[in-house]
Amino acid sequence: MAEDDVKIVMFCCNWCSYGGADTAGTSRMQYPPNIRVIRVMCSGRIEPQFVLKAFREGADGVIVAGCHHGDCHYDAGNYKLDRRMRLVYKLAEDMGIGKERIYHDWISASEGEKFADTVKMMVTRIKELGSAPLKEQLDAEA
Amino acid sequence: MVEKAKIGTMWLGGCSGCHLSIADFHESLLDVMELADFEFSPVLMDTKYDEVPELDVLIVEGGIRNEENRELAEELREKANFVISYGTCAAYGGIPGLGNLHTVEELEKEAYINSPSTPNEEGIIPNEDVPALESRVRPLNEAIDVDLVVPGCPPRSDVVAEAVIALLKGETVELPTTNLCDVCPREKPPEGLAMDVIKRQFEIGKPEDDLCLIPQGLICMGPATISLCGAECPSIAIQCRGCYGPTSKVMDQGAKMISAIASDYGIEEDKTIDPEQVADQLDDIVGTFYTYTLPAALIPAKMQKGGK
Repeated sequence: MAEDDVKIVMFCCNWCSYGGADTAGTSRMQYPPNIRVIRVMCSGRIEPQFVLKAFREGADGVIVAGCHHGDCHYDAGNYKLDRRMRLVYKLAEDMGIGKERIYHDWISASEGEKFADTVKMMVTRIKELGSAPLKEQLDAEA
Repeated sequence: MVEKAKIGTMWLGGCSGCHLSIADFHESLLDVMELADFEFSPVLMDTKYDEVPELDVLIVEGGIRNEENRELAEELREKANFVISYGTCAAYGGIPGLGNLHTVEELEKEAYINSPSTPNEEGIIPNEDVPALESRVRPLNEAIDVDLVVPGCPPRSDVVAEAVIALLKGETVELPTTNLCDVCPREKPPEGLAMDVIKRQFEIGKPEDDLCLIPQGLICMGPATISLCGAECPSIAIQCRGCYGPTSKVMDQGAKMISAIASDYGIEEDKTIDPEQVADQLDDIVGTFYTYTLPAALIPAKMQKGGK
């Protein structure tokens, strides 16, 4: 698929990853414009429902980013997210979405470069995989 | 004498178990019969599909599995003033919905050719006089407009009788918005839910009395299930499997429960536990968390072609 068509939803926690996006922006790092960032207060707030809803609405991939282990503003939200995401990968595999379409990582507020690299990596990966079939399949049936 | 209301009941892609729960109205049947008559019910009486009377209330059991289901649902919708989506299959797709993990071809092959009890040497898949399967199971409300949803597998007779009587009297019916834990008699540990191992019922034998089942290692779907049943299973030491579906505030019962279990698991050693551990202990994610609601989930069927 063409790179312009890649649609990725990215969930960022307020304290680290969103700050990371800010850092990438203020230091003028280049990264592809295919992501839609959604800010949440803590990565521990991100539910599997959010990830699945993104696919249902037509996303081709989802990135979830939170603070590094030990850095969570609320002590341990990112640890809970970590466990949750392992189950989401398994579910995505079982439902034929493919776990490669989902990615979670830790990005601190100073890691603007890691933010840009993560986005670049995901866009390349999704470009190779092609568009996610869910919305297409459901639309075709309707 | 006041004219009685006309009730119709119908079965689609279900097992007729929900009709048994109507037949089990028991003494409240008298209260219902005072206000209404059953005019159309293929399960309980002789009926003709081309002679369907005008109905005041239609109770539909079962989801949409094949073309016939859809056709009958649409036809009956025109005859009925008020349609109740009755039971979990009609509301969320139910257990037949797990068929959404396979293609129609796979299902037909399994049923007609691979099944050891079906002698079929020529490998014929019937396609005449048998309604064709649709691409996936759908809840009733994806085919027709539904006025009220009463979930349950099957719904408790007293709950339904109460709802039907209220409706016939012109009152509105409201489902609870609380989850099962709210009405469950088992005690939650004061320090919060925490589990450190996931087990199946036969592995732990008889669970401890009066203690919540989740800390004992059972995956009880109570946290993500509506409180309509009054926590019948947990009160006799069986974990909830979520047969009444989620509350109206939840979009996807399975995903909500995955979230709950992943957070509760090892919460006391949050920072040291291997995050992969909880996923390793669950072999069948869809079967465990989506037993009853797969067709109504955010991802309602397995995507073919490996997600490409």
